[in-house]
Amino acid sequence: MNAIPNTFRSDMNLGTEPVLRTKDLTVKFDGFAAVNNVNLTVSRGELRVIIGANGAGKSTLLDLLCGKTLPTEGEVWLRDRNITGIGEAAIARSGVGRKFQTPSVFKEMTVLENLQVASNRRTGVFANLFSWRPPRPTEVEAEVASRTGLSGVLNRRASELSHGQLQWLELAMVLSQDPQIVLLDEPAAGMTAAETDKTAQLLLDLAGSHTVLVIEHDMAFVKRICRKITVMHQGAILAEGTASEIERNQAVVEAYLGSATLSHA
Amino acid sequence: MKERTITFAAYLLFFAVVFALPLALNSFWTNRIAVYLVYAICAVGISLSWGYAGILSLGQGLFFGIGAYMIAMSLTLAVPDNNPVPQFMLLNMEPNALRDLCCVTPGSFLWEPFRYLSIGILAGIVVPCVIAAALGYVMFKRRTSGVYVSIITLALALIGQMLIINNQPLTGGFNGLADLAPLSVGGVEFDPYGKSVYYLVAAVLLIVVLLSRLVVSTRLGHVLKAVREDDSRVRYLGYNVESYKLFIYCLSAAVAGVAGLLFAVTSEFASPSLMSTSFSISMVIWAALGGRGSLLGACVGALIVNFIGSVASENAALQPVWPIVLGLMFVLVVLVMPEGIAGIAKSWVAKPRQPRSLKEVTQ
Ligand SMILES: Nc1ncnc2c1ncn2[C@@H]1O[C@H](COP(=O)(O)OP(=O)(O)O)[C@@H](O)[C@H]1O
Ligand SMILES: [Mg+2]
Repeated sequence: MNAIPNTFRSDMNLGTEPVLRTKDLTVKFDGFAAVNNVNLTVSRGELRVIIGANGAGKSTLLDLLCGKTLPTEGEVWLRDRNITGIGEAAIARSGVGRKFQTPSVFKEMTVLENLQVASNRRTGVFANLFSWRPPRPTEVEAEVASRTGLSGVLNRRASELSHGQLQWLELAMVLSQDPQIVLLDEPAAGMTAAETDKTAQLLLDLAGSHTVLVIEHDMAFVKRICRKITVMHQGAILAEGTASEIERNQAVVEAYLGSATLSHA
Repeated sequence: MKERTITFAAYLLFFAVVFALPLALNSFWTNRIAVYLVYAICAVGISLSWGYAGILSLGQGLFFGIGAYMIAMSLTLAVPDNNPVPQFMLLNMEPNALRDLCCVTPGSFLWEPFRYLSIGILAGIVVPCVIAAALGYVMFKRRTSGVYVSIITLALALIGQMLIINNQPLTGGFNGLADLAPLSVGGVEFDPYGKSVYYLVAAVLLIVVLLSRLVVSTRLGHVLKAVREDDSRVRYLGYNVESYKLFIYCLSAAVAGVAGLLFAVTSEFASPSLMSTSFSISMVIWAALGGRGSLLGACVGALIVNFIGSVASENAALQPVWPIVLGLMFVLVVLVMPEGIAGIAKSWVAKPRQPRSLKEVTQ
């Protein structure tokens, strides 16, 4: 019935097969290029982190990837499919799962109900007119709930959750979609130190079994999950590499790290 | 589990009262309450689109009116005096036109199929559905939402009303269609002032409520709940939100059409006033007061508001203030008790709850 989530797949083929590619991706708002000529490739099983100052265009890049914003120029490819302009719903169905910067869950519904809307892979009107929600979580729902530490609050209304739990719930929803690529926009934003720790651990758990693209601007957090980093600056990609390579990159230090974040890291 | 039992009991009680009521009513009140039950069907339609999907249509009167007109055409032709053509057409015909539905007035041939009652009834459901589908398709494809949907639907109802008033030779114009034959199906005649029409309306209300309840309890209803809260978020989960909105909007149009059919049968007329803005807004007020998020609440709201309204209209002192009171009540409900009467009832019934324990969740 439900597809087996990535987490159960063992035939990993790390780092070679591209899952997501952008070609000269550009979007202009009244002539201002919020994302400028971005060529990004994320490979299967990779945990990629995008860093950059506020306003660098990170969230806008994710908007372009998930269809929220249409590019002025360029294309987005998911494996061998051009998903540019096919619409948000079709992009989601083809395997792009997104977690927004501010937690976006359905607050009037319970945690389980949120997961059920997300994990349902039959999205047509009539398919859903003739089916009922089971009262218990499916295997996939139970699995993502336990991964994100929400097993104990499945029947709680989302409005009763803490901020950290909301972030995890949205992450659980995205995971339950069984996406080809998971886009996370500042998943640790607004979290306490303990919650941030847990989130970092969660992302490390996901790495390998899932292809994940994370936006983060907290260098300390980035170094904890320490993978390949892409630095964005004024809408364009400034550099790409490991944390130590990035920190040694003169352009990056001048544009971004040199300011505040490096000293905190 | 307990909540479901209480909900079930509430539905049972409501319909027990509805079905028992005629035993205690004279023919005037039997007819009045039957009309209010028709209004309750309208309120269910509003609750489906507004309460369950967040689409506030202020043009439900259009669908209601069309339902009423479709069957009223059949019931007009069923009156012997209106053969071969309805009386009002004779008043509007060209002097030398043929006295036949084919060509007595411009467009009168459109009446031809309505010689069959079954077509009148079917059209009263299908036509609202088709119009809603066309309008909904355009609106929802363009991602029109919120107050813009309300304004567009309201405008369309006004256009419908104008078309009917301005095409007197075809529609009977401002006077509408009155003096209808009683509904007669398979030799059974339904008397608007008798129990037969009352029970017909009550039975249809029961069916509409049960079917609606069924629909909103499916996964589709669940997705709609999510759409109501945050429709754009639902898109990123892979759902075509437009199709969902279109479905529920058409369903609510069909429900309004059914109510219109029954209105013409119960009140023995159809008129352009059924498509007026104030009538469409009244429907929204019934649903809001009763509780738009509850099908039963919407029914109760329609019955209570109309009952009080009719009592007030017979009292010289109350009559002029009633619309003001109603308006104020609406504002109050929207501001302080968005779940209406149903919300109040729920909070009375619900005992203060302990936080759910882990055990309860995992078992
Ligand atoms: N829809 C929009 N219209 C106009 N400007 C926008 C829009 N979306 C983003 N921007 C601008 O693009 C820039 C990048 O924003 P954003 O992607 O949110 O940055 P961040 O890297 O902090 O996530 C900002 O200057 C923002 O004002
Ligand atoms: Mg951002």
